[in-house]
Amino acid sequence: MPSSMSQQILLSPAELSYLHTSLSSSPPIRPDGRSSTQFRPLIAETDILPGTNGSARICFADGTEAIVGVKAEVEKSRARYTHADEDGEGIVEEDEGRGLNEWVELCVEIPGMRDDDSMPVFLAAMMSEALLADGEFTRRLYINRRFHWKLYLDILLLSQPSSYPLPLLSLTTHLALLLTKFPRLKSEKDEDPLFDDDWDASVFLYPRSSTKSFDRPPVTLLVMSVNGNIMFDPSKEELSVAEVVLAVSVGERSRSEEGDMVIDSGKTRDLRLLAVRTIDPPSRLTHPGVPNALNTATGGSAADTSEKASGQRETMAEGSVWQPPRGGAKRHQIAAMIQKVLEQGGVAEEVMAGLDGVDLG
Amino acid sequence: MAITILAPAPAAAALPPRDHVRDSNDDDDSDNSDNGGVNLQGDFDKGSRPAKRARHTDIITPGETVTDDSQWMRGHGTYIAPASTEIIATVAGTVQKTNKLLSVRPLRARYTPEIGDLVVGRIVEVQSKRWRVDVGAPVFAGLPLSAINLPGGILRKRTETDELQIRTFFSEGDLLVAEVQSLHQDGSASLHTRSLKFGKLRNGIFMSVSGMGGGGGVVRAKRQVWMIHTAGGGGEVDVILGVNGYIWISKHIEAAGGDTAITRIEEKISSTVYSSQNDEISVETRTEIARIGSVIQLLVQEGVKIEEETISKAYEAAVGVASLNQGEGSGYLGGELGRIVMADVGKSS
Repeated sequence: MPSSMSQQILLSPAELSYLHTSLSSSPPIRPDGRSSTQFRPLIAETDILPGTNGSARICFADGTEAIVGVKAEVEKSRARYTHADEDGEGIVEEDEGRGLNEWVELCVEIPGMRDDDSMPVFLAAMMSEALLADGEFTRRLYINRRFHWKLYLDILLLSQPSSYPLPLLSLTTHLALLLTKFPRLKSEKDEDPLFDDDWDASVFLYPRSSTKSFDRPPVTLLVMSVNGNIMFDPSKEELSVAEVVLAVSVGERSRSEEGDMVIDSGKTRDLRLLAVRTIDPPSRLTHPGVPNALNTATGGSAADTSEKASGQRETMAEGSVWQPPRGGAKRHQIAAMIQKVLEQGGVAEEVMAGLDGVDLG
Repeated sequence: MAITILAPAPAAAALPPRDHVRDSNDDDDSDNSDNGGVNLQGDFDKGSRPAKRARHTDIITPGETVTDDSQWMRGHGTYIAPASTEIIATVAGTVQKTNKLLSVRPLRARYTPEIGDLVVGRIVEVQSKRWRVDVGAPVFAGLPLSAINLPGGILRKRTETDELQIRTFFSEGDLLVAEVQSLHQDGSASLHTRSLKFGKLRNGIFMSVSGMGGGGGVVRAKRQVWMIHTAGGGGEVDVILGVNGYIWISKHIEAAGGDTAITRIEEKISSTVYSSQNDEISVETRTEIARIGSVIQLLVQEGVKIEEETISKAYEAAVGVASLNQGEGSGYLGGELGRIVMADVGKSS
């Protein structure tokens, strides 16, 4: 996808080359001194909008800020034309409790961008993909055969996006969804739904259990790689020299069966990979640096034809000047990045643990 | 722990203590004989309007009436609407009184160029005879082709050939350090790089902090360019603080050769002056450059002035803290470590 937002940053070839070599060394030297899996500290607040079913605000260290509000309303389900009428009730039973993707409406708003710009549209698509991927989410919105909850997710970026805003929006949405509450249903079966007036009796969309692990909404993390080094939470400058950028969506399942616990008791969380997307790194759009040997201003001699120039550039030693990355992401590289997210004690687990620490109202 | 999530801190903590600001205002009053009986907002009788006083902080926002008394003259950051005597603020900031002149000092402002300023800039546009340079000012600065050193230090008139290969000197995105040579009517600056101190930048990292205005940022100081002897085998690192708030931190490159003849130096250095190829930089140097960068970021966050003294002090503190907390990521000063560093700086000063 085009990363129209981050490409605007203009860096000189010397800076790009410096950043690239710094990030390629092992361990990578990030410009702000972080370790490769370290996130910038962020400020989170929940339940800020009283008119919503659930809301959250997150503020990143670089000043970007996002608010998410979740609003639910009861909607009449579209009549489903299945073969059930002809063949009997068997198939209808199977359909019970199933949700439809159209029950969720997700809208991303970014200041200075139109609704139909590629950036918000793509972000919204990526986030709803993670949310709807396993079909578990819409199942929660099912009330009865005739009615369901329609969920409106309004995701608002308050500041100019200074780096790729996907992780920020995803983390904020995660917190908002964790806090989302519906009034308790009083009616039974396929009656018109009747709800409990008492808000204290409301139920969570993602019910908590006393044990540490329960179902969680997905979190999308941005992972980038330079020369085999894998880094998390990349800043704007780091993204501009990235070779591969992945958006990895991870969800958590509750561990229901006791037997499961015994088998891999070392594992504390049941993390599921929901979606992976590659993001076109802005580094591809940068200009290559001119080596001294080809620069007339530094005593070199410029090639007379463009073919010759590209020929000389191809044979040049790697690393001396900035060269935009070429080619796609290697398969083993993507595998390594996903592995780093999902592995036991990996980043996804730590992020989930960090999110556990947020005061959930 | 890979991720730290904090609860929001109350915004009041970020503001300077109110009493301190009030005191300084009171000092002004004493030598101004109580404002000449003028009712200035923020200076009204303390007993009479307690409710308003509690609401009021010393920061004035755009559109707020500073005073409606006609004996005050309006200064920077204010305006008077036609057919009224009200002085209204146009920027957010603090009121400043100089005799009978009222001005509002902005909390944050863009850089206003002044002749002789050392600035770091980025080329945004290449024209036929000049470059347009982003220096953080409201308008782009210009760098004419005639105001740069030619490679090899040759002194001659710029020809059409030079115009055709203008991109070999500077092209879009390139960073340079320059001096403000003159100012135009519209406030835009004209730069020059006709000294060995100035020219294209490489071998380092760029960062941008707010210059001027507010508590922090870069201030005009005696020394804008100096060298830090870094710890941990990092060697010498140059720091260039542009007055416009753009900062360049790079490896120090010794001038080649011991020849001191003025003309020879020119020749020697100029051969690499327009290079965009980095030299070999060791891992230690890169680590220290990153550390200086995060130190400056920390100072900005804390609203401390960015100058040689504060940076050196904070850098020493950061090195000390890092030696106690070994391990990966110990260079990041955004979280807990930053607070320790700032506490150390506070102790030593």
